[in-house]
Amino acid sequence: MIPAGGRSLADLAMKLAADIAPAAATEYAGVNAGLMAMLLLALAQEHERAAAVRMADIDAIKVLFRQAESAHPDAPGAGKRASFCEREPKSLLLSDLDRFHAEGLAALIELHAWCEGEDSALDRAIWDFLVEHTERHKFELPAL
Amino acid sequence: MPIALVPLGEQLCRYLERQWQKPVQFVAIQQIPGGASRETYRVVLRVDSDERTVILRRDPKTSLIDTERAHEYRTYQAVWRAGFPVPEPLFLEEDGAWLERPFSVMAEVPGCSSRVADLAGDEHTELRAALGRQKWSLLGRLSAMDPAELGVTGFMSVPVHPALHELDYWADVIEADALHPQPVAAAAIRWLRAHLPPPSERLALVHGDYRSGNFLFAPDASIRAVLDWEMAHIGDPLEDLAWSLDPLWPWPERHLAGGLLPRHDAVAIWEAASGMKLDREVFRWWQVFASVKALAIWISSTEDFANGEAKEPILAVAGWVMTDRQNRILVDRLHPERPARYAEALL
Repeated sequence: MIPAGGRSLADLAMKLAADIAPAAATEYAGVNAGLMAMLLLALAQEHERAAAVRMADIDAIKVLFRQAESAHPDAPGAGKRASFCEREPKSLLLSDLDRFHAEGLAALIELHAWCEGEDSALDRAIWDFLVEHTERHKFELPAL
Repeated sequence: MPIALVPLGEQLCRYLERQWQKPVQFVAIQQIPGGASRETYRVVLRVDSDERTVILRRDPKTSLIDTERAHEYRTYQAVWRAGFPVPEPLFLEEDGAWLERPFSVMAEVPGCSSRVADLAGDEHTELRAALGRQKWSLLGRLSAMDPAELGVTGFMSVPVHPALHELDYWADVIEADALHPQPVAAAAIRWLRAHLPPPSERLALVHGDYRSGNFLFAPDASIRAVLDWEMAHIGDPLEDLAWSLDPLWPWPERHLAGGLLPRHDAVAIWEAASGMKLDREVFRWWQVFASVKALAIWISSTEDFANGEAKEPILAVAGWVMTDRQNRILVDRLHPERPARYAEALL
């Protein structure tokens, strides 16, 4: 096992960008090596945080669903949201986290569409969530 | 020269011999990076004892953008005839027997580069500005052309409501290709439907991907050719203007449009060249649309990388890195407070 996998991926990315891409025999190979270096850097960041950002999203979605439940118990999709709030991901495998995360996001999209004309405070809270969500998932990449 | 590509170059020579009815000798071949919708090669030939270079664009096994090769080629022919700077289209071959897949051949535009990023730094400020002035002046010229006079109405549909037509198309792409729910795209599409502008007063040939990187310029900063017309269509000229100004292209520098000019200067140049006055309210719609269309392309490329045959790194970069950035731009544009951390302040 490679310890500190994320950091190792980042080191490999820098090696690829700094040493291998410039020495590529063709422009096509060099550009693609640079793109792969960028992807490795992104993967390095995702490796470290993947479970944490999905769980943070899931927790925040549950807060929004409970807010909706308390203000609009009869709003469309209430049963789906209540069920989501009662459960946890099946395991900490990324595939299970992704499945549960997708279920929450799909229900959130439905709630957002409904609340746009009904509850401006909830609409605003969902936009705030989207800001936090995109910030959590962003990649910080240097120019390569 | 990669040995594996030699048979492709030699086979192209056989094809050109038949077209030109004279001997064509193969000299060299090199793949050009960046062509996400077609495999692109520079092929050097010897014809009548002179060296000549052509650009070969071959259909890929899978692509970032699903486009029709004949549509792209005819568009090149139309704008070439109108004197707009593009590479001269030479041949379109739809029979896959020659090079395994259909392809087109263009004349090379020699001595040029498409790498605007090479002009970073204070020493190139004037060069960048000169390039920017031409870029938006050319776009204004394109916006002012009548699609019927260009001859593109013979093979392009004329939409009744361009904004709605484009929105429906790209919303369908997101719906079909998203591998995971997309709450930002969904919210943006709802916003676009709720704020749909009236049908366009003026129709133009829309390039569809008019941005830095999609034109060739000479060392003196003169633009010699606009490339990549595969998404060209008849529509609202504001679509191209908004796309050209999207903050994704000069990321993370968002104050210089396309990394070249202050945004307001670019718009003023486009207005002067097109003879149109920007309607800022309608333009805001096209700015949000530009980000949704881009997001659709990135989402589609993710699907292509995951499920398609061509594991091109550009598809994965679009799916990961570009999706992240475009989501941030859209949230920035549509959040009630419009924080303008990633998107430009609206015009």
